[in-house]
Formats: sequence, C-alpha cells, structure tokens
Amino acid sequence: MASSDMAFGFEEVGKTGAGLETPDVKGRSINSRRFNPDTIPKLVLTATALSAVVIVFFIIVYIAGLSLPAFREVGVWEFVTGDRWQPSHGYYGALPLITGTVLVTAGSIMFAVPLGVGSAIYLSEIASERVRNILKPVCEVFAGIPSVVYGFFGMIVLCPILLGLFPDQLKYSTSWLAGSILLGIMALPTVISVSEDAIRAVPVSYRRASLAMGATGWETTTKVVLPAASSGVIAAVILGIGRAMGETMAVIMVSGNSPIIPEPLFNIFSNIRTLTATVALEMPEVVYNGIHYSSLFAVALLLLVSVIIVNLTANAIGRRTRRRLGMVKASKYSLDIKGRILDRIDDKTLSEIHRVKPKVRTILSAALLFALSSMMLSLFVSVNMALLLAGALTAGFVLVTRALRYVSSTEKQTAAHTSLKVLMILVLILLAVIIGDILVKGLPAISTDFIFGMPSNSGREGGIWPAITGTLELIALTAAIALPMGVGAGVYLSQYARENKFTRTVRNAVDALNGTPSIVFGLFGMSALVMALGWGYSVIAGSVTLAFMILPVIIKTTEQAVSAVPRSLIEASMAMGSSKWQAIYKVVLPAALGGVITGIILSLGRAAGETAPIMFTAAVAFKSQVSFSLFEPIMALPYHLYFLASEVTGSTANQYGTAVVLLGIVLSMFLVASLVRHHYSKNTKW
Amino acid sequence: MIALNENTDLAMNVKNLNLWYGKNQALFDVSMPIRRNKITALIGPSGCGKSTLIRAFNRMNDLVDGCRVEGLVEYNGQNIYGPEADVLEVRTRIGMIFQSPNPFPMTIRDNITYGPKIHGIKDQKKLDKIVEESLRKAALWDEVKDRLNTYAMKLSGGQQQRLCIARALSINPDVLLMDEPTSALDPLATKKIEELAVQLAEEYTVVIVTHNMQQAQRIADYTAFMYLGELAEFGETEQIFNDPKNELTKNYIHGVFS
Repeated sequence: MASSDMAFGFEEVGKTGAGLETPDVKGRSINSRRFNPDTIPKLVLTATALSAVVIVFFIIVYIAGLSLPAFREVGVWEFVTGDRWQPSHGYYGALPLITGTVLVTAGSIMFAVPLGVGSAIYLSEIASERVRNILKPVCEVFAGIPSVVYGFFGMIVLCPILLGLFPDQLKYSTSWLAGSILLGIMALPTVISVSEDAIRAVPVSYRRASLAMGATGWETTTKVVLPAASSGVIAAVILGIGRAMGETMAVIMVSGNSPIIPEPLFNIFSNIRTLTATVALEMPEVVYNGIHYSSLFAVALLLLVSVIIVNLTANAIGRRTRRRLGMVKASKYSLDIKGRILDRIDDKTLSEIHRVKPKVRTILSAALLFALSSMMLSLFVSVNMALLLAGALTAGFVLVTRALRYVSSTEKQTAAHTSLKVLMILVLILLAVIIGDILVKGLPAISTDFIFGMPSNSGREGGIWPAITGTLELIALTAAIALPMGVGAGVYLSQYARENKFTRTVRNAVDALNGTPSIVFGLFGMSALVMALGWGYSVIAGSVTLAFMILPVIIKTTEQAVSAVPRSLIEASMAMGSSKWQAIYKVVLPAALGGVITGIILSLGRAAGETAPIMFTAAVAFKSQVSFSLFEPIMALPYHLYFLASEVTGSTANQYGTAVVLLGIVLSMFLVASLVRHHYSKNTKW
Repeated sequence: MIALNENTDLAMNVKNLNLWYGKNQALFDVSMPIRRNKITALIGPSGCGKSTLIRAFNRMNDLVDGCRVEGLVEYNGQNIYGPEADVLEVRTRIGMIFQSPNPFPMTIRDNITYGPKIHGIKDQKKLDKIVEESLRKAALWDEVKDRLNTYAMKLSGGQQQRLCIARALSINPDVLLMDEPTSALDPLATKKIEELAVQLAEEYTVVIVTHNMQQAQRIADYTAFMYLGELAEFGETEQIFNDPKNELTKNYIHGVFS
C-alpha cells in the first residue's frame, strides 16, 4: 500500500504549506488503478464469518443426527409422552423430564416475575438517577455469579432452611421448590435488566403528556408507560424462562433428580429431574454409540429446540417494541415467519389483554389466586380445609380490590411505591445473603497454602492451585480460539454483509445459539471432540467447547458495538481516499473497542464460571501436579467446587474457599468489563 | 449554454448522468460543468437529488447497495466511473464535507493526521506541518493550537465542522464537495463556514449543496437548481436569482414551494 502511494507521490501533501514542495497535482491522472486493498481483509472476514456459521450449523446438525437412533428405536411420540425414564431397563419415556423442566421453570417464574419486574419498575420509574446508577450495576452482579456457586449456596444454605420450614412436607432436603427458588434468583438479572431497558425506552414525552393531564406518577406508570413497554417486559420474562430452562448445575445440586412426575402434579416439595440434569448425570455412564447414548442427544435436542423457540420469540417481541417506539429501523434482524407469528401474538393477544375490562380482570385474577392457593394449601391441610382457606383468601382479595376504589390516587401511589421499594430491597437482601454467606465463611479458608497448595485427602485438605491454573489455562485458550473468529464474524456482519438470505440466516443462527444451554455444548464436546476426534479429556477439548459456547455472544456484541459507530465516520474516512478496510481498522474498530472488549470480557467471565461444558471434556477431580499440555486433562475451579460439594463430605471449608476464589475471578472480570465500558463511554458519544 | 474553455477552466464536467438506487431512478440526464476555483452551489427542494448528485462527484454512492450510474463524470478530462479509474484516488483528489460534523472519536491532531497517514506519510515533522497548515486554512488554528491533544468531541459544533474541513484539506485535495455543511450549525458558525468557503475557493474548487437560498446567493459563483432528479437550470448565481429562465426556478426562488 505504502509503496504504491509513494508512486503517486504523497511527498506533495500541503502544496502551499510552509516549505513543502508542491508538484503539479491538479493535472494528475486518476487512472492509476491499483490492486484493491480491500480484497484481502474482506476475504479473511468472510472466511471467519463462514466458519462461525458452519460451526453453528454443525453443532445443531450433529445433535439432531445422533438423536436419530433413539427416536427410531423408541418412536418420537413414545419418547415424548412415555412416563417412565429408566434407561437401564430400556424405558425411554421423557415425559417426567419434560414435566420436571416445565414445572421447575414455571415455579422459578413465580419468583422472578414479581421480584424482577417490580425492581425494574422501581429502578426506571421511581428511583432517583443516583440510586439507579448504583443499584443497576449491583443487580447485574447476580448475572456474574457462576451457576455452580448458586448450586452450592442452594445446597448448603437454602435446602436446610426449607427443610427447617417444612419438616413435615419435605422427604429429602432437595425439592422442586428449592430448584425453582434458585432458578428464579438466577433469572432475576435477565428479567430486571431487559425489562428496565424496555421501560426506560418509553419516550419521556408520553410521561409528560400524561402528567400534564393531572395523572399521578403511578397512574402514568400503569396506564401509559407499562402498556407501551409491555412487549419488552414480556420479552424479558421469556428470556428469563429460557435462562431457567437451560440451567444445569444449580438445578442438579438442589432438586433431587428423581425422574418422576410429582404426585400430585403441584406438589412443590417433590423431587424432580430436568432435561438438563438428565444429560449431565447420565453422560458419564452411557455406552458410547448405544441407544442410551443416543437418547441423551434426543433429550438435548428437545432442550435445544425449546430454548431456541423461547429465545427467538423473546428477541422478536423485544425488537418489535423498539421498532414500535421508533428506536430501530425495521427488519434488520427479523425473520419473515417470526414477524407473522408476532403479528398474531402482539396485535391480538397483547392488545386484548389491555382491553380486558377491569371487572373481568378482577374475576380472572381471583380465580387464579383461588386455584393456586388451594393447591398449595392442600399440601399442608386436608383438601376441604384448603378449599375453605383459599376461598377466604380470595374473598379477602376481592374485597380489598373493591375497597381500593375509595382510596385516593395519591394514596394508591404511595402504597404502590412502597411495595415496589420493598421488592427492590428483597432483591438486594437476596444478593447480600448469597455473596455475604460465601465471603464470610469462605474468606477464613483462604491462605497462601490454600491458593498455592496441592489438594490432599480428596480435597478436604490442602489447596486448589491446579484448579486455579487449570481455569486460567481454559480462559486463555478459549479466548485464543473464540476471539479471532467471533470478532471477525461480527465485523463482517456489521460492515461487509449485504442484507440477503445468507446474512439473515447467519443472524438467526447466531441468535438461536446464543443462550443455548451450556450442557448441550458439553454433550457436543464430549461426543465430537473427546470421543470422535479422540482428543480425550483435555484442555483443548474443553477450550474448544467453551469457545463454541461463547462464539455467538462475541459475534453479537461485536456486531452491535461496531454497528453503533456512525456510518458518517466511515464516509468521512473513505472521502479521503482510504479503503474500506482502512476506515474500519483505523476509525471504526478503535471507536467500537470499548463495546467489543466489554463483550469479550463478559463472555470469558461466563466461560470461566461454567461447569457443564467442561465436566465431560476437560475437567478431572484430581491432578497430582501442575502441567501444561494441550492434550492433558486439568482441574478447574467450577468443577472442583461441584465435585467437593456433591461427592466429598467433610470438605465444607474448602468448598467455601473454592467458591470465594471462583467468585473472585469471575466478578473481577465483570468489574474490569464495567470499568472498560465506563472508560470508553467518556470519549465517544454520538 | 455557457462557453467553456475545456482545458483550463473546468475542474469537473458532468455529462448525461443518470443514477438509480435499485429500481428507482434518482438522477435524470444531468449535465453541468464545475469550474476551477469557483464555488458552485446545488439548490432545490428536499428530495430533488442534490445530495445524490454531489455524492456522485466522488463516488460516495458506491457505498450504497444497488446504486447504478450511467453517463460521465469527468475530472481533468478523465471519467471517474471509467474502468481504469481508481476510486480511492478519485476520493483523494475530490474531498468531501458532510452534513453534520463527523469528527473521528480521536484527538484533534489525530483527526488531521489520519488522512496523510493513510496515504503513507510517517515523518512526524511533516505531519506537524500538515496539522498546522490545515487548521490554519480552516481558520481553526488559533482556537485549538494549545489543545491539539484533546478529544475532537469536546469542540463546539461549528469548530467540529471546521475541523472536518481541516481534515479534508490535510490530504490536499483538488475539489472540495460540501453537502449542506451548515445545516447543523447556528447562524454565527454558519457565517464563519461561509467566509471560509469563499477563502478556500481561491485555492480549491468548491461545490456546495445548500438548502438555504441566501447562502447560495451570498457565496456561490454558479448555481444549479435541481428538481425531481433533473437539473432544471444552471447558470451564474446572479442570473439564476435575478433572471431565472425556468418557471420552476422562479417559483422556488420566490418561495412558491420549497
């Protein structure tokens, strides 16, 4: 590049410049066609994007392909509706697992929706700017806690508490209820941050218009703001559902894992087992390439398909809100079919919900309250008694709603604001309890011997040095694999891709895989890398699995950050005769760097805390020495914690110590990410 | 229409230019000369194609998917759309200022040295000289000489636009295209940019798109009136404003429509 530029002589820049020689540029020919400097970068970026897409499709096809034998042997219908899951006896009925997943998810939503949406309304509509700026990042800490740490907390704190509260109802310390509470907490950050964004996206002018007509703040919130943000909030809840459905470690550790359908169906004290748990628990026991092996792929496929449907629905609904509020141009991401489905959901269902008359709404919620409360009460008292109590409760509820009519609107506002504040405080207390418990009990375990020592006596004593180095090794290698491909594909999608079928397919594939349960990647890594490629349990197999898992996130955040850079900057650069790649490399990427780096660190933080993808690809319980070889297995902090918590009794002190170190590594990565974002946002505003 | 001395007088010459965005034709058979060291203004109602036309002068429309061009845009007698033409060289010679100021998110100095560096200049002294020279020409030097390493985003809107002009001058172009350069600025900043354009015309050839008829009248030597993608009338500014030949031009200038 430089030499050909010299050929047309940039010596001459500044022709009237102080002392610069100025040959005649005006007559210079423009017909000096050179090799287009854009060709190679474009080729490389296209290749990375293409390989990312191939990987995405390969994983989906691979899982589907390996599930075929099981479906063929058992039959799709029998597989989905059979109510007995006993692979050792040849029974492959996944209904108990499906029921388990649905129930535990439904339960978690009961916790996550009131707390999450309530906090989101508090944060966006009531809290002052200062309070919001503190509390929002605090709530995001929930998202940074690794799921194995949640599981550990559930096992060691939540389950004993529940056992103390319901000694007569609980047969074991584990239960559906514990799983739902834990998953509800884990879904909180998604629900809070996505619905908060949706609510804040409602233009201020709507609020002013309402307030200017004498409405109270609370009336404005419920009658103007929330209806306008409703599809965004619904999208948030659906994303939360997706998160809960795909969770593995936490749910394994607290919900008992018996493949049974609760008796009665609403018995929240029963043990249950989810689809994810089945894959995680049975994977180590199966015969390679047998029917049982294939049936786990079938389970993973069910999971994959449901989560993909859930996530795509949420994305499309969210996008629709933004479009309706005029925040984005139509159709960049949306798929035709999705749009049509949404037309149905959005225009009919949603608006009908809003149009339901207050009376009907009261009757519906009363019925729901009656049904739920009688079910729950019947677990404690006789059926007749339960119905009676539930009836009384419902009557009370109806009376209170009626009485509300005589309450002035300012008093209503005070009451509503207070209750939202209480919800927010509850969320903060939950966070404080989880982090506080781990810190208070874990910090005393930390010592140089613990950090730098080797484990002994099955991990009850000694240190965790090999697990720390193993985790760091995994992060480094994962980054080395995922970054070039993910960033390249993101830049390609944002800057080079034309809007055509291929691009839309890529975006949809990325959307689909973003949020795929991590256990599905674990299963893929085990089967394709460890077994088929013969890599064995190794750092490389674990890193590649983790890299595939975070690839969609990196692609997406890179694309978003790069697309956020105004097009006019590229034009300004190209109007000076730069090639497109020069404009991207020297102007756009530096401007987007903050966003790109933030996305990378966040996804690596997530990879560092994941257990499910590495438990069958890289991690072993013990290693006698620290060694660095790509094809050797390693110890890793999340798996070490899982192993100690579930297999080694009497190792509580070291469990807490491991949890603190893991939490420290992951949360400090999150902290760095938010500092980076803050640093870059200062000098780039458009 | 106007007698031309093709060799010395013309910086650019547009001949029978047609342009399509996909299936929509945006320019119809436009022919006009761009005279060297003069200011040529493009005026006309919104959507008349004046921005499209100016972006056709340095092939910025190439960036739009599905854009297709027929006809000639000659620069120094060579067609910039010809098979031999190098688009990067075209844009190096024919620079552009955009509607709203778009400085790069870098320091003031880095904004100016960006172009020269792209084109292979590495010598620090030479770069310093270019920075000072360009900022002086853009009448910004005195205001920013003490803070060349602060971020460009911290400048006022008018200063940012002059920085963008300095940035365009840094690679010493021949023609400067200005696409409504003052539409995002207040009256005082606008006045400065207008004075600057007149000054720059001594050394460069300037083409300016403007929505503001007084602006065209104040600074342009020649004015082209565009309507629905066609060049309705082209002539000396005085003639266009005082004695328009075309009924449409007359109505537009007298504010019958806008």
